[in-house]
Amino acid sequence: MGSRISLCYFWRREKRLLLSEMSKINLIPQTSKQSNMLRYVPRYLSFTLLAFILNVITLSPSIAQPNGEALFKQNCTSCHVVGDNKVVGPGLKNVHKKQSDEWLLKWIKNSQAFIKSGDPDAVKIYEEFNKIAMPAFALKEDEIKSIIAYIKTESDKAPVIAPGTTDAGTGAAVESKETSPLVYLLVLVLIIGLYAILNRVQKGLERVVRQRDGEAEPIVLKGKTRTKHWIREHKKLIAILLIVGMVYGSVKGWDALAGIGISQGYQPDQPIKFSHKLHAGTNKIDCRYCHSGAEKAKNANIPSANVCMNCHKYVQSGPKYGTEEISKIYKAIDFDPAKGVYGTNQKPIQWIRIHNLPDLAYFNHSQHVKVGKVECQTCHGPVQEMEQVQQFSPLTMGWCINCHRNTEVKMEGNGYYTKLHTDLLKKYGPQAKLTVDKIGGLECARCHY
Amino acid sequence: MEKKYWKGVEELNNSPEFTRLRDNEFFENLPIDEVLQNKASSTSSTSRRDFLKFLGFGVAAASLAACEAPVKKAIPYVVKPEEITYGVPDYYASAFFDGNDYCSVLVKTREGRPIKIEGNELSSVTKGGTNARVQASVLSLYDSARLTTPLSSKKKATWSEVDAAITSKLAQSAASGKKIVILSSTLPSPTTKKIITEFSSKYPTTEHIVYDAVSYYGLLKGNELSFGKSMIPSYRFDNAEVIVSFAADYLATWLSPIEFARQYAITRKLRDGKKNMSRHIQFESTLSLTGSNADNRYKLKPSQLSSAVANLYNKIAAVTGGASVSSSATPQDKAIEKVAQELLNAKGKSLVVSGSNDPNEQVLVNAINHLLGNYNTTINLNQECNLRASNDAAVIELMSKMNAGEVGTIIFWNTNPIYSLPNSKDFQSALAKVGTKVSFSDREDETAQYCDYVAPEHHYLESWNDLEPYKGYYNLVQPTIRPLFNTRQPQESLMKWAAMPQADYYAYLEENWKSNVYALQTGITSGHAFWTQSLRNGVFEVAVTAPSAPAFTGNVQDAASKITKPGTGVELVAYEKTGIANGAHANNPWLQEFPDPISKVCWDNYFAILPSYAAKMGYKQGNVIEVKVGNTSVKGPVLLQPAMADETIAIAVGYGRTKVGKAGNNVGVNAYPLVTIANAAMKYYSAATVSKTIEDDYPLAATQTHHTMMGREIVKETTLSAWLKDAKAGNPEEMIETPYGKKKVEDVDLWASQKNPGFDRPNHSWGLGIDLNACIGCGACVVACNAENNVAVVGKDEVMRSREMHWIRIDRYYSSDVTKENASEKGLGKLDMYGEMEKPAAENPDVVFQPVMCQHCNSAPCETVCPVVATTHSSEGLNMMAYNRCVGTRYCANNCPYKVRRFNWFEYTNNDKFPYTMTDNLGKMVLNPDVVVRSRGVMEKCSMCVQRIQYGKLEAKKAGRRPLDGEINTACAQSCPTNALVFGDYNDPQSEVNKLAVDGRSYHLLAEIKVKPGVFYQTKVRNKEEGKEA
Repeated sequence: MGSRISLCYFWRREKRLLLSEMSKINLIPQTSKQSNMLRYVPRYLSFTLLAFILNVITLSPSIAQPNGEALFKQNCTSCHVVGDNKVVGPGLKNVHKKQSDEWLLKWIKNSQAFIKSGDPDAVKIYEEFNKIAMPAFALKEDEIKSIIAYIKTESDKAPVIAPGTTDAGTGAAVESKETSPLVYLLVLVLIIGLYAILNRVQKGLERVVRQRDGEAEPIVLKGKTRTKHWIREHKKLIAILLIVGMVYGSVKGWDALAGIGISQGYQPDQPIKFSHKLHAGTNKIDCRYCHSGAEKAKNANIPSANVCMNCHKYVQSGPKYGTEEISKIYKAIDFDPAKGVYGTNQKPIQWIRIHNLPDLAYFNHSQHVKVGKVECQTCHGPVQEMEQVQQFSPLTMGWCINCHRNTEVKMEGNGYYTKLHTDLLKKYGPQAKLTVDKIGGLECARCHY
Repeated sequence: MEKKYWKGVEELNNSPEFTRLRDNEFFENLPIDEVLQNKASSTSSTSRRDFLKFLGFGVAAASLAACEAPVKKAIPYVVKPEEITYGVPDYYASAFFDGNDYCSVLVKTREGRPIKIEGNELSSVTKGGTNARVQASVLSLYDSARLTTPLSSKKKATWSEVDAAITSKLAQSAASGKKIVILSSTLPSPTTKKIITEFSSKYPTTEHIVYDAVSYYGLLKGNELSFGKSMIPSYRFDNAEVIVSFAADYLATWLSPIEFARQYAITRKLRDGKKNMSRHIQFESTLSLTGSNADNRYKLKPSQLSSAVANLYNKIAAVTGGASVSSSATPQDKAIEKVAQELLNAKGKSLVVSGSNDPNEQVLVNAINHLLGNYNTTINLNQECNLRASNDAAVIELMSKMNAGEVGTIIFWNTNPIYSLPNSKDFQSALAKVGTKVSFSDREDETAQYCDYVAPEHHYLESWNDLEPYKGYYNLVQPTIRPLFNTRQPQESLMKWAAMPQADYYAYLEENWKSNVYALQTGITSGHAFWTQSLRNGVFEVAVTAPSAPAFTGNVQDAASKITKPGTGVELVAYEKTGIANGAHANNPWLQEFPDPISKVCWDNYFAILPSYAAKMGYKQGNVIEVKVGNTSVKGPVLLQPAMADETIAIAVGYGRTKVGKAGNNVGVNAYPLVTIANAAMKYYSAATVSKTIEDDYPLAATQTHHTMMGREIVKETTLSAWLKDAKAGNPEEMIETPYGKKKVEDVDLWASQKNPGFDRPNHSWGLGIDLNACIGCGACVVACNAENNVAVVGKDEVMRSREMHWIRIDRYYSSDVTKENASEKGLGKLDMYGEMEKPAAENPDVVFQPVMCQHCNSAPCETVCPVVATTHSSEGLNMMAYNRCVGTRYCANNCPYKVRRFNWFEYTNNDKFPYTMTDNLGKMVLNPDVVVRSRGVMEKCSMCVQRIQYGKLEAKKAGRRPLDGEINTACAQSCPTNALVFGDYNDPQSEVNKLAVDGRSYHLLAEIKVKPGVFYQTKVRNKEEGKEA
């Protein structure tokens, strides 16, 4: 009897020891950190090396010669595609087979001059496209050649590959950074299995000891009684578990409650599959071309369909969805692309609003964009990389205030701030960071009225 | 022996049944056992556990559903108009004229909907001023009582149906030689008049009769008798050094109050080194807004006023050599003698006006002005005023023609005679004899309900028009929103019915301007350029025609013999209130809730009676009395109104409408039936008999129920002579008792010390200065604030509980006979003294007005008591209120010394209990999108129009400069017709507000409590005669 107790006691003490040992380890963070760091160094090393090598590989050609693809996307895509369909200008598939490189060089450099020189092919194309002149491009010869080279390679690939399909790799890379819940589950199963095995081993050993000492088998309790006994014997464990559970629950609950009304990451499907990646990223259209209110007013505004038509009167087919999405604009503004005429049956496009600031908060775009010279991306994230726009920032008051605490006011060159600037530098010292909060940017009535 | 009262016969008899019932509170047994024994309920499948499960599930489901944000849509224009930038207001110049007030305005629109009216500073008539009615007019656009389609026999119809029917009826009338009568209000529009002329040439039997609800026939006719032409001259109060008014309420309702208020204020302000003021003397029976601003005010019964004019004439004629007339004595003859002397001293620089509708009295007034040589300076006969053209005689004649069956078709245009005619019952029976009745009314009003066709007109903000308020002053009216409903301009309707070739009124108007008005100027060389510039500016003005002394051809003897002789006994006088005026806008909740500047009562009219006279007659406030004039009697509540004339009862017209809409129906009583017709003119006073009814007392909702300042210097006052001697007269330094003796207020501070000098204002320091000398108490600011800040309308019931939401109020105080100084002379103890001080002076109290809004205290008592820091102070001197932080403890309101905080006792939006502006979708369109609509349970107050400050600052920042003084303005200051309120930055050394702040007249309200307000006031200076203290 005594040994059973002692063994149990020993086991328990072991466990306690184990716990205390663990806590000791935790109590000495420096060593553990060091060891951790040391462990990571080789991994980092390899990673950095890898990155460096990759960089060298990818960058080296661009140093040597111009990137035809990039140049094409920058300069040509608003009017041409490497395909058969006409956009504003002709489709450029196999254009190198139709004309000599020399001809193309002259045309691209200054098509108007070329037409005036009386080249019959040039005049023919000009006539064919309703005398819409192609602007002259100040590109170097090798740059134009690289574009032609790009057209050559693209022409050989058929059909045109949609740009969206090229990002398959990035998604996986992002995922691998985080440990998936499956791993945690696996570890949990292992621990439980181990516990079960050890438990059996211990029970087996106890039985062996009893048999050796000639003791009687203990009464095995069953059902509720057994649970009750177990509970009685494990009061502390239960208490700890309860406390841990409550703390965990409270933290999670609090987080969940604090998250109500925050729609960071909100990415609804829009009525038109408009790609900011294509427009702002690839084509590098300035944000303020469409969102013209950003510099003038409280609202940055979603452009009205007539703004779309500035380009899409000519650009009638997109690289990914062809005419499907662009035709939705035509439907809204009642435009007949075949005849190029507008009708009267106009219906506004019902976009889904992504950024929904509550009514109680007043936000003014022009204050931030024009006066504060804040980049659009600071709050809206890398929109130029978003195929489908999502809410990048939490848009909470804490988020606003953090930024107001950290952002310096752009006072130089603005007559409004001249006197205030000198006064504040006197007050806070010449090296002071004059952040928005220092000029009252945290006061309630700046945003709430 | 102790008296015993029985509850009833049962107790007296003390029956066993009674005892049993008495001892049981619940005399019927509660069916507890039956419920518990009910088999059905115990075997019901829903157990307690199930119930809890359902409950839990319900709560969880509800909260889950609440978590998911609803999908909001953003719908841009398909083709955005170039001038619209989302979030940036556009302003359009236009003009307001409703048959009563004229005002040149700028309409602020946001995303294509008008939300606010502001004054147009380019107009040399109104000069950027507005009044309460003009400010409120934008809300009338979004009135759900407006007709949405034309009506034919009270049924909805299409325009083509109505047009076809009316055209054939008109042709019938013309063919049968019967009259086609257009009964309209004054229409001072040259192009409209042209259309009526063209209509008349198509239908030669057409007769255009002008009928205004409140008539100026006497003024027109009086001028005809005096100078041979029925017209109204233009008045220049700013040129007058002595102004004498006989019951003309020219600051609130008479003729062109916005224009006159601005002119008047110029003579009253003591700014920029100006050290003289006009003298303003008022003779009147009621206490009008104008009278309350007078330096000297004399009370006369309505019937005595004409004789007072005659007596004044005699005094002046005696000196200037005019013929004397016979006249009766009045109680104020002594004063008249003095006034005559003052007028004579200011010969050529004085002005006498009368509000009477009696042509003969107006002849005498003209004679006085003529003798004083005022027709060269303060009155210009060459600059005709087109704002009133009503012809009472023609209206009375019309009724006999209608009765005789001579009228084939009658068209009502901005008139509502069934409501506003004194003999409307006769008119109604005469109307039945008219073949076809057509109304242009925008709603099915009292008259339109008897019409065969209603061709509803646009609101003025949807219309094209032009106005010529004075000869040579033109103002274009342009639409600022597409018509909300299927309505049409009356001009266009007339054009359709007369089959005129032009497509619409707009084309006609433009054509007329490009050809006719364009020819009046030489500067611009193309008609199109002239048209676009006129549209942009709103106004086009031809050089002013200089006044010239006319030949006076009036017969004063004859006039004097025909004027009313002083009567005996009770007299009733009908007047217009500053808010509702003639009642055309009775369905405007802003105007209904706008407290009358004098009585502070809203949502009602009442019989105003002098307290001492009421006491004599045994009437108390709220008693319902019946006033009988001739055969008509009207019942209404009594209001004790100090400063009324003795034996006079006054009631406002414009109330008691029955077919105007939800907000205005059956508010107050209709007083038009008490108007009488004498010598073919409306007469607004008559002898009356009064009797008390047995009806229950009728409660009146007043926003201010105390009448005096109780000896405190809330409004500081002085006289001009005292002020000339001492710039700080009436405004001595406030001293505070401290342990170290008396100290100046600024030397004592709980918080600040040498080390801690308080808060600095590095950038701006906003402040508001209010010149009590210029404030006339008209209340334009109150309604402007309503519009700008989405202030809720709460209704009469809530106002009676002092729960009105106005962010700015105008306090009105009467002087008291008892002061702390003279109390002991009068033998009053301390308690009696305070009791007596509460009573306004019995005879003729002085009246002061004081606009009070949040004073934006720099040591604000409200801020320190808020448990959730919802109200805090900004580094620009504003007392800020974050509604979403507020939990509604109301500690701040308790701690506010000025009582300017307002609590949202209810949700005023989407609440059927408050069917005013914010409950229907239409009414919500007037809301200012830059200001939050407050919800139930939060405190709100004046923010000093922080949205305007922020907007102005941002505009300056974008332009890279400092804001200009005057560029940022609060809604109250902007709307003020007298520029009494000046808003600006104390940190800008050049600002107007800074200059005023250092003036000797400037003081802080309750300076002794040292809350350091950002708002300051300036002492009121009265131009009293020498020796008489203010």
